[in-house]
This record gives sequence, structure tokens and C-alpha cells, in this order.
Amino acid sequence: MGKRLLQALIASAALGVVMTHAEAKTVIQVMHQGDPGWVTTYGDVAKRFEAANPDVDVELIYAPHDAYNEKFSAAVMSKQLPDVMELDAPFLANYVWSGYLQPIKPLIDQDILEDMTESNVAQGTYPIDKELYAVGLTDSSVVLYGNRKYLEAVGARIPKGVDDAWTREEFEGYLEKLSKLEGVKWPIDTFRGYGIKTEWITYAYGPILQSAGCDLIDRKTWKSVGTLDSDPCVNALTMMQKWVKNGWVVPQSSGTNQFFAEGHPAALAFGGHWIYAEAAASMKDDIVVMPLPKFGPKGVSPNGTWIWGITTASEHPDIAGKFVSFMLKDKQYRDYAKEDSAYPGLKSFAADSPLYNVGGPMAVAFEQASKTAIARPPHPAYPAITSAFMGAVDEIFNDGDVKAALTAAAEKIDEDIEENDGYPPFDDQQ
Amino acid sequence: MTLQQPALAATAALARPARRRDKGRLFQEIGMLAPAVALLTIFLIVPFLLSFWTAMTNQPLVPRPTPVRFIGFTNFLRILKDDLFWISLWNVSRFTFWILPVQCGLAFATALLLHQKLPFRNFFRGLFFLPAITSMVVVCVIWGTLFQYPTGPLNQVIGFLSAGRIQPIDWLGDPNWAMFSIVLLSAWQAYGFQMIVYLAGLQGIPDELYDAARIDGANAFQRFWHVTMPGLRPTHVFVLVITTIQAFKLYTQVAVLTQGGPRSSTETVVHYMVRTGFEEQKLGLASAVSVILFLIVLVIALLQRQLLRRFDV
Repeated sequence: MGKRLLQALIASAALGVVMTHAEAKTVIQVMHQGDPGWVTTYGDVAKRFEAANPDVDVELIYAPHDAYNEKFSAAVMSKQLPDVMELDAPFLANYVWSGYLQPIKPLIDQDILEDMTESNVAQGTYPIDKELYAVGLTDSSVVLYGNRKYLEAVGARIPKGVDDAWTREEFEGYLEKLSKLEGVKWPIDTFRGYGIKTEWITYAYGPILQSAGCDLIDRKTWKSVGTLDSDPCVNALTMMQKWVKNGWVVPQSSGTNQFFAEGHPAALAFGGHWIYAEAAASMKDDIVVMPLPKFGPKGVSPNGTWIWGITTASEHPDIAGKFVSFMLKDKQYRDYAKEDSAYPGLKSFAADSPLYNVGGPMAVAFEQASKTAIARPPHPAYPAITSAFMGAVDEIFNDGDVKAALTAAAEKIDEDIEENDGYPPFDDQQ
Repeated sequence: MTLQQPALAATAALARPARRRDKGRLFQEIGMLAPAVALLTIFLIVPFLLSFWTAMTNQPLVPRPTPVRFIGFTNFLRILKDDLFWISLWNVSRFTFWILPVQCGLAFATALLLHQKLPFRNFFRGLFFLPAITSMVVVCVIWGTLFQYPTGPLNQVIGFLSAGRIQPIDWLGDPNWAMFSIVLLSAWQAYGFQMIVYLAGLQGIPDELYDAARIDGANAFQRFWHVTMPGLRPTHVFVLVITTIQAFKLYTQVAVLTQGGPRSSTETVVHYMVRTGFEEQKLGLASAVSVILFLIVLVIALLQRQLLRRFDV
């Protein structure tokens, strides 16, 4: 028995030597996040790429979504940056400013560059040099989902497109009516269940501020005090605090499926495009997709998603670019994305996604991209901005003083910018 | 901490032969100490000095184009001026104040129970110790489901027992309840360790004392109060101190379940440190928090030494 074990050990060691010898190939490291389905899909894409390019080995490095930046920081510190990395669009400015990403245009197939939607180009562009640093197959949006039965019961007007979105008065009126309707436990789910330290907060609630006429930070002077704590913002978050106080919003501890769970306890859902597939499967014809309401002078929707960049540490940027191009064109990758109700960021993918085409159930979501989408502030202080805003929202949703919470957050943001000497050259961008 | 005792004994042993100028033994003992001292230096002392140095700079987590500067005590002042730090310190104290009686009481009670000559005693000892060897993250996920609002199992049981008179409680989502909920699950997860310590303490009390007490006509309660309790005095002190220090380092439960919310009601010092270091990427500031936490734990450890001396162990 012991002898056989020894033999096996020797055999595997010998095999190891052979394998390392055979690995005189180019290795491309790809760091990514994603649900198990996506992880499998990336694995398959890598295999197909290796089959097409026998001299290249693709090494996938998975990092969980919620700890992605920590893992990335660890890679930076240990000088083990991957060649290709998936990144959340609003963090792009920080990564480029810190010097981790290189311009991607010369490395990617021309037809992909031409295929990108405006919003997709915007999410991958660094505002200082206006260069493209990342591309993606997809983009994202948030819409207002409704339950047809409940909406008809309160006689709600169903908007036909982005232009006739509900106004704030209409929206709050319906919330109140829905709160009294039999069978409705909560008028709306704003997905507090994602947690209080999640990008969802800034991504989804930021547009409510912008729609109300303010922002997280002034995008010319890059100062938050005077903007995030201005009256329109205080007003907008006081409104949201009121919804929570009235018991209109699904509480954080009730999960993220109350809109389409058994019995449909939540009447509306202020939700990402990604819940459509699951919600539609459960609600069939009862699901209504509407544009986000106008909380002030204009309607605003979020955009941006996880996109692919090539790091400055890459020794083979050309091959890294080849891999990204290969993946974005890969048929099975696109098929999986479609199945996941992914929001198109490439025109060819949009044409191939009946869900988002004119007349499709999610057409409104795609219409928002060109009419109301505003990217999150493209500034290297974004990690501090989003962290401060998350803290303020948690404080406000739990009955805290709105003005005080926003002022504290704005001061925290300005402090971070000051500490980094204004993140030059962002400081003299007027 | 009792961990220090063997080290002290070793130093004492080192001092004696040195006086006798027994060089051979001295070298032997230095050689034996060397690995431990080297490892402690590399992994404890140097990192601590480094973190103290980092705390005096504006070092970011990852390299940035802006220069790293020496900024003296600015980080410390910033922390001491930050309300959130004081809230987190207050929360940890609150947590400690609650978990001490709950966890140690539970551990003591089960230890007393399992010290009786019951059938299947060893089986129950193993069973009661199970949560302690379960990963805290797993425990958190399970309790997170139990705590669900408004239809989680815990709320349903309470609703059933009170015939619907007690409204469902938002255990983790209500600032008034969140820390208490964390206390409940933490005590349940960790009491096994204290229970084992108490069991060991109970077994260390000689049977003769009980026999003598019985002959003197002491009843069960008197035997407990005048034999068991004094016999467990050092155990009590040890358990209280170790639980306090562990409580001050509360992090996992908060990171998994509440991320410090709602409304900072479960923010803890360690969670605050991890957030400033990793989320806001301010390594200098986070190091300053760690130095402050070290000082706090040091004070507790010193107080413990005083206590130990008073109880004469």
C-alpha cells in the first residue's frame, strides 16, 4: 500500500515536471467576479480561446463581488496584477489615475470599438485624457417594475415610454394608494436587502438625487459640500426617509425577492435590469416595466457595469487584447448573457437581444440609456464618495437627521480629496 | 493572559544559570528560545512597530501618484474626533457588557450540568461543543435566516408562543435590536470554549473537599457556594478576561450580517479599522486605529494582571 502511494507520488511529480516544461507558453491572467453561471461561462470562453491559440494559456482568477476591491488591492500590493481585469465602471477613474490600466483602443479589434453604444464608451472613458480604458459586452440600467394587477386596482397610469414617466406627485400618490390595497404588504422594494455597504446604494439612489436637481459631488469643482448637502438632495432623501418611515419600503432583512415571491408582497420594484428574467418567469404577464419616475426637473437613470480593462503590468497586452476581443465576440458567452437578461452595451448584441428592442418588454430600459442615463462621478475619489454616501443613506433610512448625515458625508468626501492633494490633475479641471 | 506565564517562567529559568555563569546551559537555553523569539520578532514585534510608523503617515493601501508623507499624530487626532470611532467603541463596550453574563452564564450553567454523572455525558459534552467548532461565517448565515423579518423562524416561534400578541421583531434591521441579536448568536457560537474551561476547573476541585463538606452537614447549595465557587475563582477570572478581550475584537458577525448598520448600531472598532483600511484605502488611518485598539486591549490585560494578583493565583 505504502509502496503504491510512493509510486503514485513519483508519477505525479514526474508529470508535474513534464507539465511545467510544456508550459513554455504565454500565460494571460484574467481576474473576474460573477455568479457561478458566469464563472463557468468564463472558464468555457478561456478553453475555446486556448483551443484557437494553442500557444497561450489563460489563467482565470476569481474574486468574489463584494470583496473585489480588497482582492485587487492585495494583487497590487504583492505586484501580482493580472493581465486582464474585470472592473466596476465607476472605479475606472481611480484605477487609471493610480496607473493600473492602459489605453485599450490599440489592443482591441476595431469592429468592437465601432460597435460600442455611447453609454458603453462613456463608462470606459477616463475624463482627463478622454481615452478608452475598458470595454464590455454589457451595460446596465434600473427601471421601475410594477405588478399589473395592483396597478390596475389603484387606477395607475402606465407610462408608454421614458418621456411620460411618472412625476414625483404621481409616484408618491400611487405609493400611498398601494399601501392601503389588500394583498400589498409593501408598496415598493428598493432592494435594501442587498445590504448597506454595497454599490447598489450609490448606483440606484444616486439618480434620484440627480433627478431632483443635485448630485453626489459638483462635477466641475469636484467639491461635495454645497452639492450633496444642498436643499434638493436633503429634500430627495427626506422623501425616501418618509417612504421608509411609512412602512412603504421592503425592509433590509426581508430579502430581495419580495416583488416576485409567492403572493407578490411588494407592488413595485425599483430594480436592476438583471432581476427581469427571474421576475418575469414568476409573474408572467403581470410584470410591467416602467421608466424611473421624474423626481424633479428631469428623469435620470443609472448606467455602468462590470467591464474589461488591460493592466499596465501586462507583459503581453496584445494577447490580452486579443482575449478580450475574442470573448466579446464569443457566441456562447453572448448566449449566456442573453439568458441572464444582460443589458446590451454593444449595438450588435442589442440587435440580437429581442428583450431590449423596440416593442420588447425591456425596451424602456434601453430607451433610458440614450435619454436619461448619467454615469456616476468619474473621479479617482469615487471609492470615498460611494463609501460616504452609503453611510449617509444607512443613517437616513434609520431615522437619522437628513441634513446632518449628508453634511457629514460631503465633508468626508472633500476631506479625502484634500488629503490626496486634489487628485491632480483633477484639481485644476474647471 | 495566561499565555504569558510560561514565557515568564522561561525567563526566570534563563536568569538563574546565567548567575551561575554556566555558559554551556546558557547557550543551550538561548538556542531553545531563539526560534520562538525570532518568530515573535518577525511576526509580532516588527509588524507592530511598522504599524505604529504607518500610523504616522498618510500611507494609502495601494501605491498612488501622490507622495507618502509623515504627518505625525494627525491620524490619531482624526480618529479621536470621528464620532463613528466613539460610537464603535461604545458599541463594543455594549456588546461586551451583554455578552459577558450571557455567554459566561450559559457556559457555566452547561458546565455544571455536564459535570453531573449523567448518562451519555460525553456525548452531550461533544454536542454542546459543536457550535464552537463550527465556522462563525456559517453560523452567521444560518442565524441570518433565523432572524429574517417578518416571517423568519424566530419571529414565527415568538408569534406562536405569544398567540400573535408580540409583533415580529426586525432583529438585524432595527437599531435597537441589532446588537442584541449579534450578542445572542455570538454567545451561542462561542460558549463551548468557556464551557470546556469551566469543566476543567470543576474537575480540578478535589472530591475530598466535597466529602468533608458533606460530613460537616453542608447541603447541596452550601457545597456549591462554599466549595465549588471558591474553587473556581481563578477559572472565573480567566474566563471573564478572555471573553472580554475576544469581545473587543468583534468583527466577523458584523461583517457578515450587518456591515456595521443599521445606523452604525453594530459598528465595531475592528470593523471600523477594516473599513478605513480596505474600503477607503487609508492604511495610515487604519494603522492608527489598530494602535489605539492595541492600547485598549493592553489596559485590559494589565487590569487582569492586577485582578489575578488580588485573587492570588
